[in-house]
Amino acid sequence: MPEYDIGEIEKLIDGELAWPRVQEIMKGAKDVDRFEKWVKILQGRVSWPEPILLPLTPSLFIVQKENNERVVKCKCGQEFGDYRVNWKLSASIYVRESEEDFKEIYRGSEQPDPAWTQLREYSCPGCGTQLEVEAVPRGTPPDFDFLPDLDTFYKEWLGRPLPDEQEFTDKTLETVGKWS
Amino acid sequence: MTTETAPPTEKSMPIKDLLATNDELFAKTGYLFGLKDLKHKQEDPGGYEAVWQILLNICNTGWDVGCRVSSSAIAVEGGDALWALHLPTGEAVAVSRGITAHPGLLSHFVRQLIEEGYEDNPGINPGDIFENNDPHYGGIHPVDFDTAVPIIYEGELVAWASGVTHVMDSGYILPGSIGFMNPDSFADGMPVTMEKIGENDQLHPWYAMRVKSRTRVPDSVMGDARGRLAGCLTIRNKVIEAIDKYGLEYFKDVMKEYVEDGRRYAVTRVKNQAIPGRLRKSNFKDLAMKGKRVIMPNQDVDILFNLPLEMNIDKDAHVDFSLSGASGWVPFGQNITPPAVKSALLNAYSHMVGFDMTNWGPAAAWTLEDPPEGSWANPYPVNYYASAGVAWAPAVMWMSSLYEAFGRAYFMRGYIEEVAAGAATTLTAEFSGIGQYGTYVAGLSLEQASNGAPARGMADGENSAWCIYTPNADFGNAEVTELWYPIVYLGRNVQPDSGGYGTFRGGLGHTAVWMVKNTPGIEYQCGCAGMRSKVLANHGMYGAYPGWPDRGSYAHDTNLKELIEKQQPLVHERGDPEDPIMANILTAKVLETNIITPFITPELLQEYDVIMHPISGAQALGDPLERDPAEVALDLTKGWTRERIASDVHGVVASYDEAAKEYKADEAATEKKRDDMRQARKDRSVPFKEWWAQEREKVQAKENMDPAVLDMWRSSMELSPGYGAELRAFWKLPEDFTF
Repeated sequence: MPEYDIGEIEKLIDGELAWPRVQEIMKGAKDVDRFEKWVKILQGRVSWPEPILLPLTPSLFIVQKENNERVVKCKCGQEFGDYRVNWKLSASIYVRESEEDFKEIYRGSEQPDPAWTQLREYSCPGCGTQLEVEAVPRGTPPDFDFLPDLDTFYKEWLGRPLPDEQEFTDKTLETVGKWS
Repeated sequence: MTTETAPPTEKSMPIKDLLATNDELFAKTGYLFGLKDLKHKQEDPGGYEAVWQILLNICNTGWDVGCRVSSSAIAVEGGDALWALHLPTGEAVAVSRGITAHPGLLSHFVRQLIEEGYEDNPGINPGDIFENNDPHYGGIHPVDFDTAVPIIYEGELVAWASGVTHVMDSGYILPGSIGFMNPDSFADGMPVTMEKIGENDQLHPWYAMRVKSRTRVPDSVMGDARGRLAGCLTIRNKVIEAIDKYGLEYFKDVMKEYVEDGRRYAVTRVKNQAIPGRLRKSNFKDLAMKGKRVIMPNQDVDILFNLPLEMNIDKDAHVDFSLSGASGWVPFGQNITPPAVKSALLNAYSHMVGFDMTNWGPAAAWTLEDPPEGSWANPYPVNYYASAGVAWAPAVMWMSSLYEAFGRAYFMRGYIEEVAAGAATTLTAEFSGIGQYGTYVAGLSLEQASNGAPARGMADGENSAWCIYTPNADFGNAEVTELWYPIVYLGRNVQPDSGGYGTFRGGLGHTAVWMVKNTPGIEYQCGCAGMRSKVLANHGMYGAYPGWPDRGSYAHDTNLKELIEKQQPLVHERGDPEDPIMANILTAKVLETNIITPFITPELLQEYDVIMHPISGAQALGDPLERDPAEVALDLTKGWTRERIASDVHGVVASYDEAAKEYKADEAATEKKRDDMRQARKDRSVPFKEWWAQEREKVQAKENMDPAVLDMWRSSMELSPGYGAELRAFWKLPEDFTF
């Protein structure tokens, strides 16, 4: 199994590695310690202290709080709550659903039909980074893009269990149920 | 004296019983054929690898021979076909290059021959040729003809060789091979239903007779039939040589090891690169046909498909797929059967999971939950005559979500180079009528076989170098395409901004501009093999904007001849979406620049008519305000993005340097502009909960929801009650609420 220097992985992440080398990495067997290096690199790029358990997106991370709670946190420090609740429920949202709204992005023959689709832009209330965009018809619940089975991942796949095992369950509807 | 009966051996056991034994062994042990150990791989890895490469080469030789013998542009110019080698029970062992969805379909076909008792009736003998194109018996869509020949060695059925090509016309109700307009299976053309179509390596004469009387371009269709057969016979003969060399027992054992190895490979890739858990991805596709030229009254309708994906990766890295929530069957050729969905998944796996061991093995590494009965993905329990004319259409768009889902899993694990943001669409172009040689022509251009590639986790996708339905993206040579159809290329240009807007953009698509020439009249089908025209892809991965919808253009009865004679500017590209070039340059009796696709021209196109056919780029990744300003400037210089997008979407302040002949970004001004745009985002957005409270009222009131959207929700919720209950719970709708 290949093993890559962490500096080379960092260059790969930043798009600074020469394409022929990237192709070599793509074609070869995967380096089994990538996750550890990946998390180490990303941890070094955020200003907050909580350990990253899982990078969810380029901006969002599941982190472990001091009390072993696992929450979703933005690179800027904004927190989005329990990782088992779709983080979009704690995001800011802007929705385009008229011809005029769409025009900033899509014009003329490039524009979708507003009666068929709405464009939902989820952003971080802290830093304004656009985190996800959904193009869906009215009525679509937001996609819970990924609910990780964190304890299985750490215990069974990485061989280092996390403290305070938590139930692998989607708590989104439970949260919405409390809304009025 | 007692008579002892020897236990049945693999050789003496009917293949049908062997199939059941294999299924039991897998269920009991978790290993295909019960192979806990890969004996030959362990004992002689060099020999194991060498024979694997030999089998791959045999299949690729079959592909090479088969494509050369074939007649259709799709096989000859595009290589859009596949040949495979199978176990006696059907599992594909090694496959050629080509369309990697088909090993599953071909495996299913052979298995069906066994399950249906063909060993006894009509018998499986040396030199037999079997074929199927019927979706009711495992085919995907009837223009894909699956052919198989048994490989019999010393009287024992030891393997099968198979091949598939997409013919140019199989007698659908309308000319051509895409068949999105087929209202029901009676319109799906010439059936070959699990038939023995030849013996002694020769096609039966009645097969050719049927092709002649039931397809529009029989010479081409028969050419493809001979191509498939030639490829199969090539494989068969070379496999027999390999058995002579390596021995039958070794061959039989090692074939099974390769399949089990393929399963392990797929499981290992998932376990090494992904994360266990649940991935969900909504996606939708439209088929807006109201008011257009259709065949049956019930086709005068606008349709929105619900294509939901749920993917669960368990602790053993087994993957479960669900289509819960899929909307209902449609009165068009856009329904697919569960076996075909499962087979089609091999295509996505070949792109996203396993590249080295593409065979039947990976199909044993996942489970597809039965799609909702009566949905587009499982129509027969409700409508046995639903058409599968272009069953690929919803399937490939559903698989696009699978690209993104695996991409997300790989990103989390750190394998950023394996991320793919979501696929391009497949908008086809077909021509039918009298061609430049005075003979009838019907067939598909290859333009759609080279889309942009999806954005990666750390780079843009490549332009015009990728295709969702085949890893061998190839749109053929323009000059050769002009030999097939009565058209002349006026343009084949990279389409700026066609890959979405993100930190990394999708690879760009292109626009083909054709002038109709040398024909008394030809029909143009701007077809749907998986496109969107009313809606956008739900692929705003990590904050990117999805690429725009597919819209068509054409001009009929034009002044193009006059423009050519006067040597004035012609039409080579699309231009501004609000001010298209075609409308500025041409005058014409019919001039359409923004048609909701798919459509068929209502009039026959004639000399000097113009068609502008768009081929989409793929999807982008990341916040567009985080795209490197230098990359935006470079795209401006290349003409791959437009000033408005650079400024309003990417927030880049750039100017053209006349001396250097390039755009340059002003980094400080860009930073300031981007800060302002982020602040504007914050100012105009609201907390999700606040939006949810207002939105649920609008959902309940069905405000600004097209009837097609309401129809879709009604069928999705009815066919998948659990999905419906979750939707109602999310919006806190009454338990009896329906759209």
